[in-house]
Amino acid sequence: MKRNSPLQTEIPFEALDPERIRMESARKQALDQGRTRLLVTGVMFALAFVVLGGRLVELTRHGKDGAPKWQAMSTSKAENPVVVRGDVRDRNGHILATSLPTQSLYVDSREALKGGDAAEAADKLIGVLPGLERKKIIDKIEGGGRFVWIERNLTPDQVWAVNSLGLPGFGFRREERRVYPYGPTFAHIIGYTDVDGRGISGVERTFEGRLGNQGENIDLSIDMRVQSILHEELVKTQKRFNALGAAGVVMDVNSGEIIAMVSLPDFDPNKPASALGESGFNRATKGVYEMGSTFKLFTTAMALDTGTVKLTDGYDASEPIRIARFTINDFHAKKRWLSVPEILVYSSNIGAAKMALDVGAKKQKEYLARFGLLGASDVELPEVGSPLYPARWSDISTMTISYGHGIAVSPLQVATGVSALINGGVMMPPTLMKRTGATPPRGERVLEAKTSVAMRSLMRLVVRDGTGKNANVKGYLVGGKTGTAEKQVAGKYEKKALISSFVGAFPMTNPRYVVLVVVDEPKGIKATYGYATGGWVSAPTVKNVIKRMGPLYGFVPDRRGNEAEEAPGHPLHVPVSTGPKRTAMVNGNVHHAAY
Amino acid sequence: MSMRSALLRHTTVLFLLLAGGISMVLFSVKYQVHDLEAKYTRLSGELEDERRALHVLRAEWATLNDPKRLEELASQYLDMGPIAPRQVVGPDAVLDIPLREIVFDDTKPSGEAVQ
Repeated sequence: MKRNSPLQTEIPFEALDPERIRMESARKQALDQGRTRLLVTGVMFALAFVVLGGRLVELTRHGKDGAPKWQAMSTSKAENPVVVRGDVRDRNGHILATSLPTQSLYVDSREALKGGDAAEAADKLIGVLPGLERKKIIDKIEGGGRFVWIERNLTPDQVWAVNSLGLPGFGFRREERRVYPYGPTFAHIIGYTDVDGRGISGVERTFEGRLGNQGENIDLSIDMRVQSILHEELVKTQKRFNALGAAGVVMDVNSGEIIAMVSLPDFDPNKPASALGESGFNRATKGVYEMGSTFKLFTTAMALDTGTVKLTDGYDASEPIRIARFTINDFHAKKRWLSVPEILVYSSNIGAAKMALDVGAKKQKEYLARFGLLGASDVELPEVGSPLYPARWSDISTMTISYGHGIAVSPLQVATGVSALINGGVMMPPTLMKRTGATPPRGERVLEAKTSVAMRSLMRLVVRDGTGKNANVKGYLVGGKTGTAEKQVAGKYEKKALISSFVGAFPMTNPRYVVLVVVDEPKGIKATYGYATGGWVSAPTVKNVIKRMGPLYGFVPDRRGNEAEEAPGHPLHVPVSTGPKRTAMVNGNVHHAAY
Repeated sequence: MSMRSALLRHTTVLFLLLAGGISMVLFSVKYQVHDLEAKYTRLSGELEDERRALHVLRAEWATLNDPKRLEELASQYLDMGPIAPRQVVGPDAVLDIPLREIVFDDTKPSGEAVQ
């Protein structure tokens, strides 16, 4: 009786021994423990469901933002670009360079040989792709390589034809082909890519990282329409004067943005082989030339800015300057005292040389450096040339540099420098990138504002009355300066080989654009009376560009005519003076002006 | 006791029905999603094709929009030339336009102005 079965439900009193009670309590404890566990599990499940519910609500309310990654991936597939490399666009969003998806044919020669005779396969291929060389193809098929290109970038028709041959071991791989819709028009700006789509020159090379790796689009400061106008006019000029080459730059004077830039001869970036040799050379940025009289603008600006001369001052230009073995003479000699405006208008070398000497070599060097003429242009192109100037800056250098000889700079540097002369005196670094309104361009002040105002009226005077008459566009108040320099051939200046340039700007009351045209070795023609100077060759080209560009930008011509400008009080009025006020030291002798 | 077991039975039936209903709904939703996914794949494929076509067309547009080509076509088919600077006028040019004569129509009683 002492030990009853534990299953017994009715426990007699005598059975309640302490040992049994302990056992019962252990059972209850186990039961309680079980309940607790159940409760904890239940609560955990409930919590899990609450979390799931919360997530459901979140997903419903916030859409795919909170969705896990794999889901986002399936939707973002639609946003994958068609091609990897980014586009190059002009300032208005026109596509200047883009990539098209294409197919390229390759051969896996082990597979191909299993399929049969190499010669037979090659013959079949040549049947649909006539450009292939039979021997090379056979070599490739028999070469044993697992991946050998046969032909890159086939047209869809060609792909279809090759597929229909049913050759084993041949396959296609998707590739990209760079396309330049405007052909040679933008050749030197955009450059081109190699067969694997890597930028080799121009903007394609500069922005290889952003275009290639990140697939970004690049917005240039170039205006496709103006670029096309400049290109066309330069091609015309080059043909007309049978010139070796030509370069042109159109620049926004206030922002330093390059609106158009052309270098001739050029090439078709769609056919990279055409970029070899001379035609691949960017004359606008890499070529450096002795620019000739356009430098008189810089000389005059520094003379006015330092306070060395006033507009009513002048120098005696009646006799050539003889110094050492040099003789400085005037092309359009007036043989009399010339005022500062007249020195520019008649492009007097003697006057400019004396003016520079008066300013002094040190100041001259400092000012030229300020105008960015002594260092390479900081433009977004790999092809940039460094200027050439004498290491020892003697008095002779000072004089020759005053009229643009003995210093060679790139056309882009001249355009940038002239922009600073007339935009109020602020040097804007040149750029090929579109400047957005959000970041106002920051420049460096290089001239006093009033010097800049004087330069505007002087440049206008050159076109109104001087050597630049051929650049005048009625009503657009074009200003500018001609330049004609003899080229150095084997250390000697060649009379027949000229660099003829014209730098123009408009409208001079509030200059907006600088247009520079440089022509390399133009030959005089009947219509120009045999002249091949800047005023005859480049000035009309600048005129044509401005004439076509002005209406495009909605410039309203000023119809009042020259008389209005000549009246005192007009912003472009230049005071006339007839008496000598300044003298300059040359050769130790003081050359007094003749009354 | 019997009432409790009856309640239990009802609950069981109710839950069975619910479970059956939900699984039916789940079944149909699953197939709906399947169909939608198929449609989505097809549509995004089409979208991809269209985008590719658009990309190529944009390049083609640029080629066709070459100012040199347009100039050639314009000189061939249009009787127009480029805008000359003298054709561009400012807002004050409006003052130079002569006024049109206003004719009063007598047949209308109110005497309205007719152009």
